[in-house]
Amino acid sequence: MGVLVRPFVGSFALVVVFQVVGAVAGLVPLLAVVELGRLLLQAGPLDEGRVWFVVLAGAVGLFVRLVFTAASSGVGHLLDGRVQLSFRRRLAEQLGRVPIGWLSGRRTGELAKVVGEDVSAVHPFIAHTPGDMVAAFVVPLVSLVYLLTVDWRLTLITLGPVLLAIALVPLMMTPARRREQEEFDGAMGRISDSVVEFVRGIAVVKAFGGAGRAHRRFRTAADEFVGTFSRWVRGVSGIAAGMQLALSPPFVLLAVLTGGAVLIGDGSLAPADLLPFLLLGLGLTAPVASLGHGFDDMQAAHRAVGRIRDVLAVPPLPEPAHPATPEGHRVELRGVRFGYDDDHEVLRGVDLVLEPGAFTALVGPSGSGKSTLIRLLPRFFDPTHGAVTLGGVDLRDLADRDRNRLVSFVFQDVHLLRASVADNIALAVPHADREDVVRAARRAGIHDRILELPRGYDSVIGEDAGLSGGEAQRLSLARALLADAPVLVLDEATAFADPRTEQAVRRTLAELRGERTVLVIAHRLETVADADTVVVLENGSVVERGTPAELVARGGTFSELWKGVAQ
Amino acid sequence: MITVLSRVLGHEYAGPMRRTVALMAATAIAEGLSYALLVPVLRALFGGGDAWPWLLGFGTAVAGYAVLRYVSDLAGFRVGTSVMHGVYHRLGDHLARLPIGWYTAGRVGEVSALAGRGVLQAMSVSAHFLAPFISACVTPLTIVAVMLAVNWQLGLAALAAVPVVAAVQVFAARRSVATDAERAAREHDAAARVIEYIEAQPVLRAGGRTGERFRLLDDSLRGLHRASRRSALSALPGVVGSALTVQAVFTALAALGAYLALGGEIGAAEVLATLVLAARCADPLLALSEVGGALRAAFAELARLDAVFRTEPLPVAPQPVEPSHHDLSFEEVTFRHGDRTVVDGLSLWVPHGHRLAVVGPSGAGKSTLLHLLARFHDVDAGAVRVGGVDVRMIDPDVLMSKIAIVFQEVYLFDGTVEDNVRLGRPDATDAEVRAAAKAARLDEVVERLPGGWSAGVGEGGALLSGGERQRVSIARALLKDAPIVLLDEVTSALDPVNEAAVHEGVERLMAGRTVVMVAHRLRTVRRADRIVFLDRGRVVEEGTHDELLQRGGRYADFWALSAVG
Repeated sequence: MGVLVRPFVGSFALVVVFQVVGAVAGLVPLLAVVELGRLLLQAGPLDEGRVWFVVLAGAVGLFVRLVFTAASSGVGHLLDGRVQLSFRRRLAEQLGRVPIGWLSGRRTGELAKVVGEDVSAVHPFIAHTPGDMVAAFVVPLVSLVYLLTVDWRLTLITLGPVLLAIALVPLMMTPARRREQEEFDGAMGRISDSVVEFVRGIAVVKAFGGAGRAHRRFRTAADEFVGTFSRWVRGVSGIAAGMQLALSPPFVLLAVLTGGAVLIGDGSLAPADLLPFLLLGLGLTAPVASLGHGFDDMQAAHRAVGRIRDVLAVPPLPEPAHPATPEGHRVELRGVRFGYDDDHEVLRGVDLVLEPGAFTALVGPSGSGKSTLIRLLPRFFDPTHGAVTLGGVDLRDLADRDRNRLVSFVFQDVHLLRASVADNIALAVPHADREDVVRAARRAGIHDRILELPRGYDSVIGEDAGLSGGEAQRLSLARALLADAPVLVLDEATAFADPRTEQAVRRTLAELRGERTVLVIAHRLETVADADTVVVLENGSVVERGTPAELVARGGTFSELWKGVAQ
Repeated sequence: MITVLSRVLGHEYAGPMRRTVALMAATAIAEGLSYALLVPVLRALFGGGDAWPWLLGFGTAVAGYAVLRYVSDLAGFRVGTSVMHGVYHRLGDHLARLPIGWYTAGRVGEVSALAGRGVLQAMSVSAHFLAPFISACVTPLTIVAVMLAVNWQLGLAALAAVPVVAAVQVFAARRSVATDAERAAREHDAAARVIEYIEAQPVLRAGGRTGERFRLLDDSLRGLHRASRRSALSALPGVVGSALTVQAVFTALAALGAYLALGGEIGAAEVLATLVLAARCADPLLALSEVGGALRAAFAELARLDAVFRTEPLPVAPQPVEPSHHDLSFEEVTFRHGDRTVVDGLSLWVPHGHRLAVVGPSGAGKSTLLHLLARFHDVDAGAVRVGGVDVRMIDPDVLMSKIAIVFQEVYLFDGTVEDNVRLGRPDATDAEVRAAAKAARLDEVVERLPGGWSAGVGEGGALLSGGERQRVSIARALLKDAPIVLLDEVTSALDPVNEAAVHEGVERLMAGRTVVMVAHRLRTVRRADRIVFLDRGRVVEEGTHDELLQRGGRYADFWALSAVG
């Protein structure tokens, strides 16, 4: 965090200095009125030149104030923009580095909120806090010193309402009030959960009759929220209103005038000395008054900074200090164990070898660990025990570049970016030339469809054209083919969007046969039948392996699966 | 602004809201009027007279103001709370009535944000900003009136400033509206890019683009930076302008006061009292731009709420007709989504108890047919009928009670497995729930789960696999026991084990019912009574599996594509 902020310290100091100069200059016109009062109230003839000088001094003060506060505000807002951009870039960089495992454990929306809203919440810190703080503390302090020099007794009287308001503060911090505040935060969380659930599940809500369960839950959460809110308000509003009243100008003026009348009455205060209290005295309430609403923003900003810091503190997977060089591209898993959390192991000792050029099909019931297994290959996670090696080198000792050169992936969930079709295909190989992109698209069976789009390969997805699920999946296949790595890992669930996509995947697999190492999470019998080796995963361990014919003959899990689908 | 407010609040709250506003205005006037008594008090103190009677009067006025202020503060909180309650309920009811077609992927996020912080921010208008805003407008005006009464020249000078201050405020507000809107659009864009970037991480990482600056995202972050700079700079003249006017007027009053005092036309006490009054005007006016900004932000939320409230739910027939049988028909149906014609003059008939399979390339409008049957949307032309009755003439609850839908994507509520199955028919007995679960082969899943029937499924059913969620959804549909069954690519994303299980459940679900199923996997389609091949919203082929194969057309091509190994 410190590193993030350091480049901006200079500009920030400038903002604060401008603000202080502006604010103090803002006192000059009030002092000018005080001086004018002294001149007008003094006995004897008026010194005309002096009167005009005082008025002029006031005007100059105003002008200085205007220039400096405007400059401070302008610099502050520009600085704010730069800080936000730098925070966001730093966060984006970090999100590109954190382990995928960490990312998948979080909701995308929440992370986007950190980059978006939370960084924006820092805005008041930079753009408004200096001004507010100066207004709340510097100005009252200067005024206080000045008033003390005029008359210390009346200064104390002027401070009376402020002290009264401060005396009310502890009442807002009692355990009961705190509890209400916590309840309020909790209810706020529940209502946003229930609205998300309500809206996401709306199809179900409607399909099972209008007054569905989520609707009721939403209403209950809303009632509960409003209930806690009003309890909180009821607890606080009386005290808050009392504070507001104590700090309100009429009340403060009443205190000042009463005190002034007493002191003038007994002759210990010159009438002209009352004037500064009437003009500057009200400013003394600012620190306490600003506590109220500025405080909420500050707290929100503080929480936001905490969340930003949490994201920045996530350590990336360690990079090898001295990367080893792989020989060949044989993939081997040796005694691999892995769990997403400590008490639940997903892979329980998997041994698996992918010989160069071999076609291996991975099958097994859902939850058997197939998807987890293939996620270890791009090192989204590191195994807890055992090792994954590529070309004889442990993935942990391999430079990212080598790993990526050797293995490419087609994942189950396809995400297209709002960018041109060509950029989408070249996502992993940003500097690929058009010819290569087109060749990959042809092989993935999507080239003709792309040519039908309004601007061909330059059509922007989501603006010029939408692609269907199957088309998106073929595009993702083209991505993997473009990477041209000797090992291809593919989750075949992608192949079910439509017959054309199935065909494209099957044709690609057939073409690559013998030429590349292929590992497929197979969903189709045809694919399984084509494989050199079938590996059956159950409950995180390999239970059967062999050629398809052997496994059918053996009459184990695989043959049951086979029968189940072929019936 | 006011119309939007009263529309969002609902008419029953317009009255209390108006009363609260009136109370706040009265408080502000009371504050301004109490300052009138400063003039005689100061005259007495500066001139050596007896100030106490006037001071007592001022004290009484302040007490009156205090009571008003306390009452109106509390009223603000109270109205805010009760309005919030009403808005939440109205929003919930309204959202439940909006057609499912309205809920696109983007809407989910938008509406959640709106119902969470949006409502709260909109309601903070009455609790926090309304009173300062009214007081910042009304108190200075009252003070100007008092000044006029004290000295007409000084009063007139102050009065002349009123239109200038108002004009600067309006100008500043107009200026920031446009740039604020642009910044909001940029924020939206950047948020979408961040989500895209996070979702694309697996691909980017696998392609070796780790931690590299990602151009698409960086462009949009820089766009946001530029937009927020523009909006900050464009707000500056407004803020500076209003400060300038207020301060210029104060200086002018000081100069004019000095001039009048020098000429002996006015007493020193009057001049000084007027300047104290002017200082009382300046503070609220300077705060006005800040409060105004907060109010505008809150009103922007209100406008978004209003847009949701103004979206009309599908009309409900005044005299609904109940269909007596369950054949389904499309008559010359056309449906558009934006500019795209999704269903184009399509006619179809499914006799009671028959199974129709809908096949075709992605984007052909297959799922839309199911949506139109369940009236997620209304057609643009033609009619969709159930049992001969136009779905628009059927009570929505009745229509829904006749239809069981199984989608490819299953959404489960954060509750137990049993809760989720029971949703199909809330008054079902335990035995019925178990029977439905068994028929959907959900019992196998339940056995495996720690906690069995009372195991939680997590938010959206995240703790179950896709196939397991699908079984819950089929059990739900079985329990509902509706005469019409709509299946949308139910088995297309399942692994072989789950597929076999789900298949069995689906067969049980379809028995004896009128069925429309959309399928990619042609194996499931084969046993349908009739198959239609859909392309670009039209039926291009229609017949039984064997007929269509013999015809050698599009369906036969599709079949060949998917069957040849």
